[in-house]
Amino acid sequence: MKRRAALAATLALGGCSGVQTPLAPVADQAHSQYDLLLLMLWVCGIIYLLVLGFLVLGLWRARGGRAAAVAPLLEPADKRLGRLFAVWVAIIVVGLLLLAGGSFLVERSLAAAQADETLRVRVTAHQYWWRVAYRDPAGGGWVETANELHLPVGRTARIELGSADVIHSFWVPNISGKMDVIPGRANAIDLTPRRLGWFRGQCAEFCGPQHAHMAFDVKVETPAAFAAWLAVEARPARAPGNAEQARGMQVVTQGQCAMCHTVRGTAAAGRNGPDLTHIGSRRSIAAGALSMTRAHLQGWIANPQAIKPGTMMPAVTLSPADADAAAAYLESLK
Amino acid sequence: MMDAGAVTGEAKRHRAIIQFGARDWTLGAAILLLLTAACTQENRTLGPDQPQTPPNGPGDPRAQYFESNDYQVSQGGRYFTWYGCGSCHGDDARGSLDLAADQQRQPVSFDLLYAVIADGHKRFGHDYGAKIPTEQLWQIAAYVHELASLKPERRRRQDLDQAGEPQGSTWSGPVR
Repeated sequence: MKRRAALAATLALGGCSGVQTPLAPVADQAHSQYDLLLLMLWVCGIIYLLVLGFLVLGLWRARGGRAAAVAPLLEPADKRLGRLFAVWVAIIVVGLLLLAGGSFLVERSLAAAQADETLRVRVTAHQYWWRVAYRDPAGGGWVETANELHLPVGRTARIELGSADVIHSFWVPNISGKMDVIPGRANAIDLTPRRLGWFRGQCAEFCGPQHAHMAFDVKVETPAAFAAWLAVEARPARAPGNAEQARGMQVVTQGQCAMCHTVRGTAAAGRNGPDLTHIGSRRSIAAGALSMTRAHLQGWIANPQAIKPGTMMPAVTLSPADADAAAAYLESLK
Repeated sequence: MMDAGAVTGEAKRHRAIIQFGARDWTLGAAILLLLTAACTQENRTLGPDQPQTPPNGPGDPRAQYFESNDYQVSQGGRYFTWYGCGSCHGDDARGSLDLAADQQRQPVSFDLLYAVIADGHKRFGHDYGAKIPTEQLWQIAAYVHELASLKPERRRRQDLDQAGEPQGSTWSGPVR
C-alpha cells in the first residue's frame, strides 16, 4: 500500500517536472508562454466563477417556484439593469483586453530578434528524423549530427528550420513553443535555456506513419562543456580499435549503409540519412525510438521496419558476424 | 408533392421520403466508390522489406505489383533522386541516357531493367547491386519502367516536389 502511494506521488510529481512538458519551463521563451497560460487561467477562471455565481444566485432567488408567481423583478427599461449590464460588459472587455494585450506582448518578444544571439544552429526536418548542423568553431564549414541538440546555458541560440520533404513542427515544450517547419520556407526560433539538463523535443505536425517516433534529445550544458562537445563533434570519426571494429568499418563504409550515411573521415559520404560520425556518443537512435545500445543498433540494422514501420531506413541483409561487427563499429564511434 | 387528398397525400409523402432516402444512399455509395477506387493503387504493407531477392525472370509476378503500384513507383522516383541518378539521367540527358525517351522507343522488360541498374553500371564504377538494398532496387526499376507513361510533373519530381530532398552526395541543404 505504502509502495503504491509512493508510486502515485512520484507519478503526480513527475507530471510537474517532466522532460517534455510546458508546465516546467526552463527557458525564457517557455517562461513567457507559461506566464501567458497563467494569465489566461486567471482571467477565464474569474469570469467562469462570476457566471456560475450569478447562476446560483438566480436559482436561489427563484427557489420554490415563487418567481413564476410574481412579476419580473426588473423591467428591461430598468436603470439598475442597464447599469449592471454596463458593468458586466466592462468586465468582459477588460478580460479580453488583458488576454489580447498579453498575447501581443509575448508574441512580439518571441518574434523579435534577440540582441545576444550568439549561436546559429541549422535544423532540417526529414521524414522521420532531425538533421542538426552547427558552425565549425575551427573552420567555416558545418558540423552535422542528428536527433540531438546541444545548447549552452544562458545563451540565445537561433534555430534555423528547414524541411526536406513535408511539413513538420519543431517543439521542445520545456524550452519554447512550436514552430512549423515548412518545405521551401525559412523559419527560425530563438531558444534561451536557463537550466542544465536533458529535455525532449518532438515533431508536432503529423508528417507520416512514423510521426510519433520523430523525437530528439536536447541537452542544455555549461558553455565550456558545450564547446568541448562541439570540438569533438567537429573531428572526423575515430579509427577502429580492434579487428571486429575494422570489419564493421568495412561493412558500414563500403556496403549499403554508405549510400545514405556519412562517416566523416571514411569513404561513406551519403547525404540522405543521419550523419553517423559520432553516433556512439548520442543518447538514442532512430530519432528517439530506441536507446543507444549495441543490441538496439543490431536490431535496427537487421529489421528497421519492425521497429519503425514506414521508416525510410531499409533492411540491410548482412551475415550475423557482419551485423555484429557493424554494430560494434558504430557503437565505438564516440 | 403537396397532394390535397389527406390520407393518400400523407402516404405518398412517406413513400417519397423513403424513396429519396434510398436514392441518397445509392448516390453516396457511388461517390464513395469513386473516391476510394484509386486507393488500392497505393496499397502497401508496413513490415519487413519485401522482396529480398532480384526478379527471377521476365514472368516474375512481383514485377506486376511494383509496376502498377503508385506508392512503389513514387518511392522509386525518390531513390532515383537520392542516389544522384539525375547527374547522368537528368533533364538534359540525351540519347540512351534519356530514360523516358529510351523506354518509349524500346521498352525493356522489368527483369532486364533491374539487371541493368544493379549490374550494368559496374563498368562506370558503380556497383549498385551491392550498394542499394534489394527492395529499393525493385522500386527504382519500377519507376524507370513506368517513366514513359508518367506525366511530366511526376517524371520531373526532383525539380518540383522533391526539390528540397537530398540529391546525391553534394547536397547542401533544403531549399529555403
